[in-house]
Amino acid sequence: MNKVELLAPAKDLEKAKIAIMYGTDAVYVGGKFYSLRSRASNFTNSDLQELSAFAKEHGAKVFVTVNIVFHDDDYYGIREYLRFLEKIRIDAVIISSLALIPIVRQEAPHVECHISTQLSSLNSSAVRTLKEFGADRVVLAREAGIRQIRQIAGKVSIPLEVFIHGGMCSNFSGRCVLSNRMTLRDANRGGCAHSCRWKYKLYDGDELVSDPHCLMSMSSKDLRASAYIEAMIRCGVASMKIEGRMKSEYYIGQVVKTYRNMIDEIYEKGSLSPSRLEYYDNELSKAENRPSDDGFLSGDCDNSKHLYGVNGAGVTHDYVAFVHAYDERRSLAIVEVKNVFKAGEELEAFGPDLDNVRFKAELMFDENWNSIVLANKPTQYLFLRVPFKAAYGDMIRKAVRI
Amino acid sequence: MEILVTLRKLEQLEKILPFTDGVICGRHFTTGYRFSMKELEQICRYCRALNKKFYIVMDNFISEDEKILMYDYLNAIENMNVDGIYFHDLGVMDAARSYGLTSKLIYDGKSVLCNSLDTAFMLEKGIDSVVLSRELTLSEIKEIARNNPGRVDLQIFGHLRLSYSRRRFLSNYFSQIGKDYDYFDKESLRLVEEQREYRMPIVEDGNGTFIYSDFIFAMFSQICELRPYLKRGIIDTLFIEDEKRIVQVCRDYRRISEYNKQFIEDSFYHNFPDNYSSGYLFRKTNISKDE
Repeated sequence: MNKVELLAPAKDLEKAKIAIMYGTDAVYVGGKFYSLRSRASNFTNSDLQELSAFAKEHGAKVFVTVNIVFHDDDYYGIREYLRFLEKIRIDAVIISSLALIPIVRQEAPHVECHISTQLSSLNSSAVRTLKEFGADRVVLAREAGIRQIRQIAGKVSIPLEVFIHGGMCSNFSGRCVLSNRMTLRDANRGGCAHSCRWKYKLYDGDELVSDPHCLMSMSSKDLRASAYIEAMIRCGVASMKIEGRMKSEYYIGQVVKTYRNMIDEIYEKGSLSPSRLEYYDNELSKAENRPSDDGFLSGDCDNSKHLYGVNGAGVTHDYVAFVHAYDERRSLAIVEVKNVFKAGEELEAFGPDLDNVRFKAELMFDENWNSIVLANKPTQYLFLRVPFKAAYGDMIRKAVRI
Repeated sequence: MEILVTLRKLEQLEKILPFTDGVICGRHFTTGYRFSMKELEQICRYCRALNKKFYIVMDNFISEDEKILMYDYLNAIENMNVDGIYFHDLGVMDAARSYGLTSKLIYDGKSVLCNSLDTAFMLEKGIDSVVLSRELTLSEIKEIARNNPGRVDLQIFGHLRLSYSRRRFLSNYFSQIGKDYDYFDKESLRLVEEQREYRMPIVEDGNGTFIYSDFIFAMFSQICELRPYLKRGIIDTLFIEDEKRIVQVCRDYRRISEYNKQFIEDSFYHNFPDNYSSGYLFRKTNISKDE
């Protein structure tokens, strides 16, 4: 049996490399055009080329999102773009325009076509239809529960991809144009204004029936499928996808590392004990800035799976520094400050080859070797004493007192 | 171009049918146009007697658990010998093949069918026609319809569906605020964003929650130039109770021409005042977040 693929998002080259370093099997990114996350930095062609080479070196795959809902004008340049993706050996494109399937076959015969969750595939008949259309993989709708995923996987002969973590559309993906109506931004062409997370009054005729102290919202909690990873592996799901092309390198690093270790442990030991699952859940919480739950995986989504009033909550850790280099002789790391920390505070470092090591921030020097006690300038480079071997790509955080 | 009307109540059939080419309704996997199978057969017979068309609509998604129902339903539809089946879930294509219904299928992708190539791609699969997305400009509609002449349907009147969720937004909200309220399948509820004024119809039923445009989309003036290219124009009557108005819409869309269009449009808006809009016909919805 092939090992399930872990698939991570990245908004720029740096984050894509972090995802690969932290153990993802594949990364999905958007180019400058045709991609749904218009606010993500997105990749120039030269970035894509560099990423592809980096990924190949590390045995990882690269998928490029070409997933806007195309209008006629949007196809301009698409053939040339696909030829370019073929040339730089991109592994797959994630598409929602079915007409792209034959075009990809012509222009980029070695690039697979993965059908985006925008098409909300929710049953095995829909998956079969897409296979017949020429798809190489189908991303299932986030509305499918684990029972349905198991049933679908048992009935189709095409790789299935399932979301396991991150933000969720509260409506069916691709079938929400609230943003178009309320802001003239096309949700299906990268302009989603997240109108579902806004607050609404509710009337029955002319009578106000909503609670003025708790207005209605369609905002959903984020998805966290940690408790279902083992079941998904047993179902034969081909790929587990993390959402978040707008997210920081800290989120990417922490979430990828946690799921990487979880998947590897399940393959190694056959299953995950409750205490190990609790450990991994705790690790995922360190990267969370919105409450999460298991979405539709356990069945229906009741009111406990919605957010009314607050959107962000529950940050347990602040990401304070990124390690760029380490001088083993002097036990000093060159770090880039991300958030405030000060001498005497307990910090925790983690990295691709480093598991949660705690230490106290003691000696700190600025670029001119002046001793400092407070790191409060984001992007500033500092020398920080780290009493163990650190390396490029490691990250440092501190617990937030709640 | 055929003019079709979505049917909401059995008692409306007799009044509306003479002014239209056919009706659209269903039993399962749809919201707002539901009848029992017995009623559907009755409607079908009545349409046949008047030499009118009868279409089934399945405009919701279908979960794996509902697949058996989908097959049974298609089997029953086959026996009714309907004129067409509007579908939203691509799984219907796979299932319809078993019953030889492919050539009767009409794909309504709602917001995801916005271009000529996807339209042609779907039509090449042997289905009858497609319904274009409601978020297109007039020039985009013209271009797609010209590229696929006679194979394209369009919603020409009614509230536009803005969102569709499997989540039960209303029941969840009332649970959250601890209010016992009769919301299920109710069409009088309106959603108003706290910084805005317009009132968007919201309905929750067994299929999920649906939100519609505050405005009623209308395109009287534009239909004349599109008519040669369109196969069907759909008048969606959801949230429109007034039968007189529905009949008038049907009549006006049938008789409108370049010569009388201004008069017809003005008279209609005068006689049936409401919040009408040309939707996105003249407004592109591609503003980026930085603008």
